[in-house]
Amino acid sequence: MGVNNMEIDTTKVQDEEIMAIDHLTTSPTIIIEEISRGHKMLHRYKLSKESITIGRGYDNDVILSDPHICPNHMHIDFVQGTWVVSDQNSINGCFLENPKSKKHNADQHIINDGDVITVGKSQLRILFIDHPVIPTVHFSAFESFINLMRQPIALFISMTLFISIAGGLGYLSSPIESNYSQFFVNAVGMAIVFALWPAGVALVSHLTKHDARTMAQLGISFVFFNLMWFSDFLDNVVAFNTASNSLITLAAAVLPIILAFCLFWLNCYIGFHMTARRRVIVSMSITALLFGGTYLVQYSHKPEFNPRPQYNATIMAPTFLLAPSSSINEFIDDNNVLFEKASKEAIRDK
Amino acid sequence: MNDFFTFNFSQTYKKTFSLIILLCSFTSYAAEQAEEIFAQLTPSLYQIKLIDKASGEKSSIGSGFQISSDGIIATNYHVISNYARHPNKYRIEYFDHLGHQGSLTLKSVDVINDLALVQREVKSEMDFFVLSKGAPHKGEKLFSLGNPHDLGMIVVPGTYNGLKKESFSERIHFTGSINSGMSGGPVVNNQSEVVGINVATSGNQIGFLVPHDKLVNLFNAYKSSPPADIKRQMAEQLMASQDKLMTTLLNSPWESKPLGEKGIIPIIDVPFIRCWGESNADKTDALILAAVANCSLDENTYLSSHLFTGSIEIEFRYMQAKNLSDNKFYYLYQQQIARAGAGNRAGKDDVSEYQCNHDLVKPDNVNINNKAIFCTRAYKDFSGLFDVLYLGASVDKKQQALVSHFTIAGVSQKNAQAFTRRFIEAVSWE
Repeated sequence: MGVNNMEIDTTKVQDEEIMAIDHLTTSPTIIIEEISRGHKMLHRYKLSKESITIGRGYDNDVILSDPHICPNHMHIDFVQGTWVVSDQNSINGCFLENPKSKKHNADQHIINDGDVITVGKSQLRILFIDHPVIPTVHFSAFESFINLMRQPIALFISMTLFISIAGGLGYLSSPIESNYSQFFVNAVGMAIVFALWPAGVALVSHLTKHDARTMAQLGISFVFFNLMWFSDFLDNVVAFNTASNSLITLAAAVLPIILAFCLFWLNCYIGFHMTARRRVIVSMSITALLFGGTYLVQYSHKPEFNPRPQYNATIMAPTFLLAPSSSINEFIDDNNVLFEKASKEAIRDK
Repeated sequence: MNDFFTFNFSQTYKKTFSLIILLCSFTSYAAEQAEEIFAQLTPSLYQIKLIDKASGEKSSIGSGFQISSDGIIATNYHVISNYARHPNKYRIEYFDHLGHQGSLTLKSVDVINDLALVQREVKSEMDFFVLSKGAPHKGEKLFSLGNPHDLGMIVVPGTYNGLKKESFSERIHFTGSINSGMSGGPVVNNQSEVVGINVATSGNQIGFLVPHDKLVNLFNAYKSSPPADIKRQMAEQLMASQDKLMTTLLNSPWESKPLGEKGIIPIIDVPFIRCWGESNADKTDALILAAVANCSLDENTYLSSHLFTGSIEIEFRYMQAKNLSDNKFYYLYQQQIARAGAGNRAGKDDVSEYQCNHDLVKPDNVNINNKAIFCTRAYKDFSGLFDVLYLGASVDKKQQALVSHFTIAGVSQKNAQAFTRRFIEAVSWE
């Protein structure tokens, strides 16, 4: 799937088109692609004729259903080794699409490889058979990873892991003794809620005429949800073991953002045909929306003055105590900074 | 169990300035005497009103009494506290026994003893209350004067019962009903000499008075050198008071006492810090056995209705897991220490927000490893004073935990740091 994505990437191909201009084909075979305004290919015709008719009429070689196109709109003729456009006195004309200058009438234009001609509201890209193609792309590592994760057994393992972690955390934070099945039911409910995301992505890709690949979406998403649990755990271990304002704390805080970005990137990779650049932009936008939105909500709920101290009270069982402790002197010295900060704030806000 | 485990560091303001009205019956002799005293002293008694300038209405009322021929009137600081904090918003007025009104100027305050001196303009020398030379004796009949609930001047007979026990700032224990509005009124002996000033009540005939010598000191200090700036005067008093309190605490013996099966905690041996204990040993279904010891200084300094200072709270909590995995024990334990709050009331205009720091701290001399959290906020009007909060949570035992916590309101950086050091060193495992 990922390989096919590339053919739409016309910007890359354009550089190589220039080289192809010199040795125009002498064969009367031509490829006409009906493309959308976003340069996505809708239809491709490969014709071996010296005169090709294009129009809305059913007697044409290339039949376009656009109502702005005449039944017999234009011809492309092979004349002395070149392909020439001839407008058949159409009502709306044919124009040569040129990204650098304004479009101009395409009548009697000698076609170059890769030319895009606008007829009515439709666009045709014309390619010669020696049009260069981009090199073959290897299956990426992701592809095999995705294929592994969408296996029912792998999916089952990641979902089971997710449910056990969610259930386990529910059990740990419950202040009273309760029935284990209750935690299990809650955890399954949580897994279903989390499954809505990959299911939603799969639905959107299905609706946008892409392959839904629900299993792959689910598999990948749950792997990442589990990684998020892990990052959360790591975050706690770091917060427990380090003092305030430690750089490691900052690094641990960035980890979930990176994970979220990777998840969204893979969601896009699996579900949609898009350029690598667009995929990065989309994933970055969703990540920014998620974390920025959460931050904004928190920020908007922040009271103007908080009479309660905000501190990090993360503690874990002694097994996770990895760092050496400070002495009282170090702690007391560090606290001197707080007095300075508080005094400054008191003077500033007075 | 939830209730029990939740750290209750909520602000407690045990000192109230108004409570129940009780009638008291005394002998007819006392009644006659009261009548005589009232008639004789009433020209020097005033109702003190704080008028909100914008609305023109009174925002608080209290009583006051003249102590000099040139119009110096004594009252409680808390009666005029709004003016002291926001002099541009309010003005102070008096209302005498004949119904005459006039304006007053604030001359001096003693925030620690809740006293203030205001002055009215006088055209000629006036009668005034004489301050007693000595303290009354226990059981002596006294008469409290004031204007409760804006109902008019009254006289309340009562008994002197010595100084309040276990109190850092001295207060007379007066058995007699003092009510809201009587604050700042004088309490006289049968020679009509002032021996105390109405200040607070605990209800049911338990009243508290500021001893007259505090007023004598304030008045003498005022006569020798009147304060140039009331806010600075307050800051100096708060600074000196916390220094006295903290020095006393740091120089007193800290007794090590066991808490639960394995904890060792310090109990500061001073009469004004009182301790209470509680445990959930009777609750068989609790997942964690907990024992709590609470110590506090049950008095604080009133600066305004939303700023109290001078309080100290100390809390220790020993926890022992009953049939729990280490991880679950620590999960529940973390919930216990997540919500510590300030020990005193203070608002946006009074203090900065808290600045916090946390670290793993292992004192050199004792066998405990703590997650230590320290937070502080600074006072905006009284620079150099801070509210501090410390929370230590042991993290070295799998099935036991010892939480040590304190808050101190209105303390200097030096004293807060010295106390913190001493406190951390005093908490350990057996």
